[in-house]
Parts: sequence; structure tokens; C-alpha cells
Amino acid sequence: MAKIGEFELLVVLAILRQGDEPYANNVRRDLVTNAKRSVTRGALYRTLDRLKDKGLIGWDIEPSTSAERGGLPMRRLNVTEKGVETVRASRAVLLDFFEGLGAILDP
Amino acid sequence: MNNQPPAFPHALLARALGRDDVARAILGDLREDFALMVRMRGARSARWWYWCEAIALSVSSATTRLVDWIRPHPGTKTLDKIMANSFGTYGITRDVRHALRAFRREPGFFGLAMLIVGLGVGAGTAVFSVMSPLMLRDLPFQDPDRLVWIAKSADPTGGMTAVTSRTSNLRDFRRLSESFEGLTGYNAFFEQGGYNLVGSGDPERLVGAGVAQDFLEVLGVVPALGRNFVEEEGVFGGRPAVILTHGFWRRRFASAPGIVGTSINLNNVPVEVVGVLPPSFDFASTFAPSTRVDFLLPWPISDETDNQGNTTSMIGRLRPGATIESAQAELDLIVQGLQEAEPNRWGLDAAVSDLREKIAGSYRSAMFLLAAAAGTVMLIVCVNLSNLLLAKGASRTKEMAVRGALGATRPRLLRQLLVESLVLALGGAVIGTSIAFGVTRAVANSASLNIPLLRTVSVDAVALLFTLGLAVAAGIVMGIMPALQATDGRGTSAINDTSRGSSAGRGAAKVREALVVAEVALACVLLVVGGLFLKSFQNVLEVELGFQPEEVVGWTVSTSRSFETQQEETAFFQQLAVNVEAVPGVEAVGLIDALPLGRNRTWGTLRGVGMEYEDGELESAFPHLVDHRYLPTLQVPLVAGRHFGVRDTEDTPRVIILNESAANAVFRGQDPIGRMVTNIGREFEVVGVVADVRHQSLEEGAGWQMYYPFTQIGDFQTMDLVVRSRLPVETLVPGVAAALRATDPTIPRGEYQSLTEIVDRSVSPRRFLLVLLGAFGGTALLLAALGIYGVLSYSVTERIPEIGIRMALGESGSHVQRRVVGRTMALAGIGIAIGTLGSFVGTRVIGSLLYGVNPTDPVTFVAMAMILLSVSALAGYLPARRASRTDPTTAFRSV
Repeated sequence: MAKIGEFELLVVLAILRQGDEPYANNVRRDLVTNAKRSVTRGALYRTLDRLKDKGLIGWDIEPSTSAERGGLPMRRLNVTEKGVETVRASRAVLLDFFEGLGAILDP
Repeated sequence: MNNQPPAFPHALLARALGRDDVARAILGDLREDFALMVRMRGARSARWWYWCEAIALSVSSATTRLVDWIRPHPGTKTLDKIMANSFGTYGITRDVRHALRAFRREPGFFGLAMLIVGLGVGAGTAVFSVMSPLMLRDLPFQDPDRLVWIAKSADPTGGMTAVTSRTSNLRDFRRLSESFEGLTGYNAFFEQGGYNLVGSGDPERLVGAGVAQDFLEVLGVVPALGRNFVEEEGVFGGRPAVILTHGFWRRRFASAPGIVGTSINLNNVPVEVVGVLPPSFDFASTFAPSTRVDFLLPWPISDETDNQGNTTSMIGRLRPGATIESAQAELDLIVQGLQEAEPNRWGLDAAVSDLREKIAGSYRSAMFLLAAAAGTVMLIVCVNLSNLLLAKGASRTKEMAVRGALGATRPRLLRQLLVESLVLALGGAVIGTSIAFGVTRAVANSASLNIPLLRTVSVDAVALLFTLGLAVAAGIVMGIMPALQATDGRGTSAINDTSRGSSAGRGAAKVREALVVAEVALACVLLVVGGLFLKSFQNVLEVELGFQPEEVVGWTVSTSRSFETQQEETAFFQQLAVNVEAVPGVEAVGLIDALPLGRNRTWGTLRGVGMEYEDGELESAFPHLVDHRYLPTLQVPLVAGRHFGVRDTEDTPRVIILNESAANAVFRGQDPIGRMVTNIGREFEVVGVVADVRHQSLEEGAGWQMYYPFTQIGDFQTMDLVVRSRLPVETLVPGVAAALRATDPTIPRGEYQSLTEIVDRSVSPRRFLLVLLGAFGGTALLLAALGIYGVLSYSVTERIPEIGIRMALGESGSHVQRRVVGRTMALAGIGIAIGTLGSFVGTRVIGSLLYGVNPTDPVTFVAMAMILLSVSALAGYLPARRASRTDPTTAFRSV
């Protein structure tokens, strides 16, 4: 199983959350708004590269649909089978560790 | 609207990212967000944002590539790389390591060098950060380029009344003008309103700024929470509503997210909180620096507010395509038309100007001066470091020669030395950044600085980039000369040379002396500028205020009570004054509608009854509503006649006290006592004349002032209570607070400040400038002294054998000492001469920032030259003493 850091995990989850529009800008906005993380563009793109190197995500380049991009292509992100597997394993570990801590966490 | 991102950063980023599809997709992402920013914050803001993002992303991408490139790739033979990159960047890490090793060997020298760079970079970054919100960043509004300020008159003399308008002007301009997408305004006299927050805890006096219903809309400010005012709230007597400022919401309500929709109790009236402003828009810091605003409330554009006279500061948003000139031309026509239709209408005029200019314009020259001063310090730093490195370089010529002999090319050696100075500069940048962080934090938190947008000052990403650029530039500038000198390729001759400290460094010594001269000259300019500002500041502080601020504390008292009659209200305040007067330790009290150096207004002009005046002879006059105790309490000297007394009431003839300027001008030197004047359509008998009081600022003259008994003219909303007492403020406050509570429990008691504080705040921009210039001047002096010391110390060490021989042949120690000090003075003298000449030319441009001192003030010039000479002499004395104690036998042994 590939190793995955906390921010990487958030990025993979954010890609999955975007539904039909898994683009970097949407991922970044999601992380900033809903995960309350300050995410610089550079950090996000580096993380995407790293996740791809690990084989957890991939992408397809597609022509842009909006005039605002000035004709520049879009990168549709996707999470690989290995990526989904890794996220699943992370969740299992987290749930295991949360188990039985209700008394402390929800006083 | 311009939706194209700026070309240069776009090209830069495209280059940094490369040409593949992913890079193009990233460029597209940025472009998409740019379009979003244009819609949200306006084109100018978005361009600025794009610059920051593109530069940050370029740096990030370049760093990633560099790291990838330096990191050894599996399978690549090191030798191949060396062969391929003998002149490129390969081995840069080794150069850096080499530099770090050199620093470890001599931590003292390099620590000092880094500290020096740190001072320069810190000064530069701090000044850049302070300048940035005023000069570089956009105003916190959408599309701020199209926002304009519409004053009543372009001439600011006559106080705030002269630049504010009646609300009927705003109403008519809105109706008739086509140049604007929106026209709005706020009540410029908002500080007069008192709102007591009652309910939980002690009552607190709040300051609310009245704004037209569409104010936020025209500026393009979206509330962080809740909504804008709606029409039912914007009309006179409409549903009470407030929008809280972000700071107040955080402070008083702990950022409670559920605040919108709840009510707060202001002056015993429940008022609905409809919104919270975003943190980016600090109303007070933008429009009225050094005041405080807790909430916005609607300012109706109606007949009722129109009757209050010139009250409203007008702001317009130009339609796309409209310019300030075209808008001005249109408003001129409208004004003319309205005036013809209504010849008796007063206060009808309009002067359009850029909003940014209005907010930041008057600070521009001061900011440029600071930037120039910081730049000069940075230059001195570079010269100084260059000098130190030259001295170091002399001892390394041999090392370089050896390495050259072993096959290192000159570019390779140059690169190594430059990397060294770059690493040094970057180390300095780290120190400098922490200095800048400290300075900007202090500046942003300083409540007493009367400069707009200061609360938003911080070391942001752009400032950090600036620092990085500055450090790299400094590294190259200070390193290039020593590097060239150390590698001048004299080959083996260098190996033999310098070992005996003979004539080896002759050329180097000349260069170093020239550098010291340059340093002294630059320091001289900075000192002269600093000296002129010090003198201006002293002049300002010595200004005759016209009142005695010492041992006086002012309270703003606003009551939540409502009064049936004017008489009842004045009786209430009279009673309050009597109660406070009875507090032990209180010597005198008085009441006025606004303390000096605070807000000001004018009420038309004054005319002596029976006098004829020429055009332009009459000035606007500033009214002050006071009780009979105020003028004696502030110890405003009575020049003629009498003060007001208890007998001046609503039922007795109307009376007025004039200041000397008004009395002399209105009656052309005749005795004014007992004469009648007209103002605001009524006649008043002049009963007294008092000294001029500087009430606008310390630098501005008093103008025409008139004092009315507040029992006769009741046009005030809050009163300021002045209390004279020898007790320390903290001892006095509880007693006065108790007396206020006894009179009316709803009066907030925390609103006090000593008058000396008020005077202090009014000179704060000047002090701010002086402190910074002083710090720069001091640094420059220190560095120049260090430079002189370094050069002479080095030349003495180098010439020990020569001095030894001279002394053996009979030259006395004191003669040697005199010779070295003489050399110092010669260097300093040349530097000062050049510096004085430079200052003579340079200080002319700062004339407008000075007060009561000539830019070429000979006293300052001479004094600063003397300081520089003495410090130089001191710096030269230590090496001179060492030289005079040379023991000839030791000296011979070293030959």
C-alpha cells in the first residue's frame, strides 16, 4: 500500500468530492473553503505531481469549455484504483483509532 | 472590462512552467481564477493578484526544478555532469557549502556582516511594507480605479465643512449626472454622534458612521455576514439597522456567527444588526485615520439631513469610459444650471478627484522620502560590505591564485566568491525580515498614528519577494568588486605578493578609500535630512498652541437621555460639570462641542455690522460651542473684554467671543468689544477676544474662530468635558467616572484622553517620519564609522613595517598618530564635502515636508558635518593609537 500524507489524503478526497468537475481550481477552492487549509497553488500542483508519481491519481488533458481560460486546456483529475484503495485503508486505520475514544472526544 | 491578465508575469510563468499540456492547463487555471478576481475585486486588484500568484508559482516551479536537478540522478555519472557543466550551475551546492565553511571559520566577521546586511534589508522591507497599502496595493474596493472623491471645493482651507456637501447636492447630482454608475456618501461628522451601547456590562460609547444606503454597493464591498441596508432602513426615521465593522464584531461579540438578525441596544433603542463588514474594509483606517468606527448606520439623503448643512463626503463610481475631467465638466454644468434655477441655494459646488489621491496623496512625498532614505542606507550597507570583503579578499588573493594555478578558471572563481557574498546577503535577509516583521507589527498596532490604511500594513508575499530581490542585488553589488579584485589573475606573482604586506594592496587601498569617501558622503546626506526633520519637529512642538494641554483630561460625554427643550439639555450638562467640579483634586472643568485638534467645521463667515468688505477679504469661520468655564479651564489667554458668564443664557442678548485673528480682520484693528457681528443669519455682540488656538493641526494657523455659549446656540450632539487637575490621570479617572455615573448612569465613562495625548497624536505622522529617518541616519553614521575604522585599521596593520622603520629613524609616536588621524580627517572631509553638495541639491525637494526650517539651513548642515567629523575622528583614533604604539623591533621582525 502506498504511503500517503495528511495533505495528500485531503487532496485525493477533494478530487473524489468534485463529482463531474474534478479540476485543480475546484479542488483548491474545496480545500480552502471546506477544509480550512491555506493552499498555495505551488503546493497543490507539487502534491498532484507527487500523487501521480505514487500512482494514486492520474489525469487527462481536455480542451477548455470556457472563454475565461483563453483557449488553454483543462486537466481532468481522476483517482486510480490504487488511490481509492489507499484512501480506503487510511479510513480504516483512522476509524480503528477513533473507536472507543467517544468519552474523551465528545465529553 | 479588461479580462486579460498582465502580459509580463504571464510570460514569466509560461517560461518557468515549460510548454507541456500540464503547464498549459496550470496557466489556464490561473487565468480562470483571474477572471473570477476581476468580477470580485476589480481589474486593478486582479492584476496585482495575478502578479503575486504568477511570481510565487514561478519561484515554486523553478525551485522544484532546481532541487530535482541538483539531486543526484540515479544512473548519471558525476564526472559526466562535471564535464557537461563546468561553466554552468553544477557544483553550486558545493560553493554554498564552501561559503558556509568560510563563515564557520570566522563567525565574528561574517556574523557582523550579516547583521549589517540585515539592517539594510530590514529597513528596506519595512519601508516597502509601510508604503505598500498607500502606494502600491489597491484600495480595498472593487475596481477602485473608477472611484472618485467629490469635494465641495478643491481648496481644503476652511476645514471639513469646505470639502463636504449638503445632501441635496448628492440627491441632485444623482438625478442629473450621467458620468457616474453610482454616487454615494457618508456623514463626515460621524464622530459627533454618540451611541451608548447599554445592556450587558458597563455602558460603552460607540462610534457609528452614517453612510448612504448604497454606500457599500458603490464601493463594491460585500458584507462578510448578512446584507446591505435596504430602502426601509435608508430613509429618514426608517427602521433602525447597523452593519458592524469586523474589528468591533470580533472585539465585542467574539466573532459570533449568529450576530446577524439580533438586536443591540443603542441609546435605549433596540437596533437590528443586519451585517458585518469584511476584514479587508476598515472604514476608519481608510477614510478617517486615527479615529475608530464600530458600525455603519444609514445616513438618509433627505431634507432633514440637508438642513444640517455641509455634512456629506461624496464618493462616485465613474461609468466605464468616463474620466475625472469629463465628470468634472458635467458637474460644472449641472451646478451652473441648478444655481440659475435657484439663485439662493448655497453650498452648491463640486470638485472631482481621484479617491486614492484623496486618501494617500498627501503622504506620497513622505513615503518617497522614506524609500529614498532606506535606499541610501542599503547603498551604504553595500559599500560597507564591499569594503569589508575587499579587506578579506586581499588575504584571499593568494588562495585564489593557488586555485587558479591548479586549473580553476576565472569565471569559476568569480562564481564561488559571488556565491559567498550571495549566501551572506541571504543570511542578512533572514535577519532583515525579522526586523521588518517587528517594525511592521509595531506600526500596524500603533493606535496613535494618524496615517491612513496603516492598520493593514504587514510583510506580505510581495514584500518577501522584494526582500529576496534586494538581498540578491545586494549580494551581487557588494560581492562583485572584491571578487574581481581577488581574482584579477596575477597568477604566481600574487602568490609571492601580499605575503610581506608591502605595496601589494596599493590599488585595493585606493579603491577602499574611495568607498569610504562614498559612504561618508551618503551618510552625510542622510544626517542632514534627518537633522532638518528634527529641527522641523522641534519647531512644530514649540508652536504656541493657544491653550495649556498639560494636566487636562478630556471626556466625550454622550447621554442616552432625550430632552424636551434646549434649556433642559444645557441644564443637564451644567449639572454634570458642577458634579465633576466637586470631585476632590479637580481644579477646573469646562465643556466644548469638540476638543482642539479633533474634528472641525465652519459656519460661513463673520461680518462686522456696519463694515464694508472687499471680495475675498472674508474667511470661513470655525464655531466652538462652549460653557462659561471652558476658556478659563484651558487657560486660553483673554486678550480683551470678558469671558462668558453664568448670566449669558438663552434669555439674554446673544454674545460671541472671537479669536484675535478674526477680531483683527473683521474690525480691521478697531476695538471689537461691544460691536455687533453677523453669522448664520443672526447678530451677536462681541464680548471678548481670546488668543488664537491651533485647533486644526499644529502646523496650520488658527484661522477665524468664534466661541458661542452653548446655552444660546445648541447645535451639538455630544459634548467634551475638560478637567484640569494635578492628579495623575489614573487617580483622577475613578473620581470623575463616579461623578458622571451619579449624574447619568448611562454615560460611558471609558472615553477619556489627556490633551497632551491629543497633541501628541496630531504630530504623529511627523514623529513617525522623524523616528524612521533618525534610525536610518544613525545606522548610516554607525556604518560610516565602521567603514573608516576598518580601512584605517587595515592600512595600519599593513603598514606596520613602514611605521616601525619611521619610528626607528626618529619619528615620534604622537606624530604617527597625527598622521593617521590626519588621513582619516582627509577622507571624512572629502566625503562630507561631496555629501554636503549632494544634500544641498537633494534637500530642496523635501522643502514641502519641513516646517519653519529652510532646506539649506546652514546650522543643520554645519552641525551634521561636525557630528560626522567627530565620529570619523573617533573611528580613526583607535587605529592611530595602535600605530603610535608600534614597537620598531616587532615591526622589523614582521618584515
